[in-house]
Amino acid sequence: MKYYIQLALTLLIFCAVGSGVLAYVNAKTKPIITERKIKEAKEARESLIPGSDFERHTAVADTEFEYYVALKKGTKDAQGYVFTAIRKGYAAPVKTMVGLDKDLKIISIKVIEQNETPGLGTNSALPAFTDQFKGKTDAELIVDKDGGLPGKSIKALSGATITTRAVTYSIKDDINILRADLASATGGVK
Amino acid sequence: MSFFRELTKGFIKENPTFVIVLGMCPTLATSTSVDNALGMGMAATFVLICSNIMIAAIKNITPDKIRIPIYVVVIAAFVSVVDMAMAAYVPALHKSLGIFIPLIVVNCIILGRAEAFAGKNNVINSLADGIGMGLGFTLSLSVVATIREILGNGTWLKMRVMPHSFDPMLVAILAPGAFITLGFLMAGMNMLKNRK
Repeated sequence: MKYYIQLALTLLIFCAVGSGVLAYVNAKTKPIITERKIKEAKEARESLIPGSDFERHTAVADTEFEYYVALKKGTKDAQGYVFTAIRKGYAAPVKTMVGLDKDLKIISIKVIEQNETPGLGTNSALPAFTDQFKGKTDAELIVDKDGGLPGKSIKALSGATITTRAVTYSIKDDINILRADLASATGGVK
Repeated sequence: MSFFRELTKGFIKENPTFVIVLGMCPTLATSTSVDNALGMGMAATFVLICSNIMIAAIKNITPDKIRIPIYVVVIAAFVSVVDMAMAAYVPALHKSLGIFIPLIVVNCIILGRAEAFAGKNNVINSLADGIGMGLGFTLSLSVVATIREILGNGTWLKMRVMPHSFDPMLVAILAPGAFITLGFLMAGMNMLKNRK
């Protein structure tokens, strides 16, 4: 009996020391990590719509949806919107940061996080794919394989239609949420 | 002499992937391209060396009956510390290796070496075993990845090695390609071994 209590206590000590070390390292590193994530997101926003200050908003109807209004530096005129669209791709969620102009036309997009099949879905992060979103409206966000017309649709990546759909339709749906929010009285640009 | 022997046995004779057949899950997942394979291999090597040293150092105070839970606690705590420290202080490295960290926690090579070697040997030999097994793992991952990346994407370390007219064999970089490649490589290793 005494032996088993000893075993349990030994294990407890190991776990306690382990948790203590983890708690210490977490407390030390967490502020640094959070700060850098905020900085990275800020830099990504600035690369989409340069020369702006960003103001954070939360959609009224869907509080999970956040977007940023880009205000021109100096004049403070609203010149566009930035949001991050997320949808499950082939492997894991694909996160795309989208910059829109005042009329909700896409200025540019950036795939900021994906874990798709190397050589197929990972091509979604390349300019050859993301550049075709430039200047598109939400009506033109349709994958060519789903009946989109050439020039007015998104050309699917070969071997990665699922990834293409995740990126395209997550953006399309989020533009619609944003539009609805801007139209509602409480949302929109002050 | 024994240091050197423990160091080199992981390369071919007791290669963790092809001979001991440990760590199959990360092998299949990260051998799609050579840079992924190197990233995973390096991260696993680092953790393996450190966990081997630690396990060997505490082996005298580890009661035999509960050694496995203690190994798991030590390894998991260690990997989490590495993950957090990397994210905070070397973000560039964390960006390229970070996605492999969760895979290392469940990498049975680490636990396998703790149980089979570090728990029974001294710190120096455990260090050698960690380096050797880690490099052996990196080596075999790179071999699988080289075959898969060249056949499936026509590139090696993102450099184009096949002519543009080459139509990539997509199956090679998809999951079945990993099983096929691994099967042929293991068969080849066994053939060489049996011939001796």
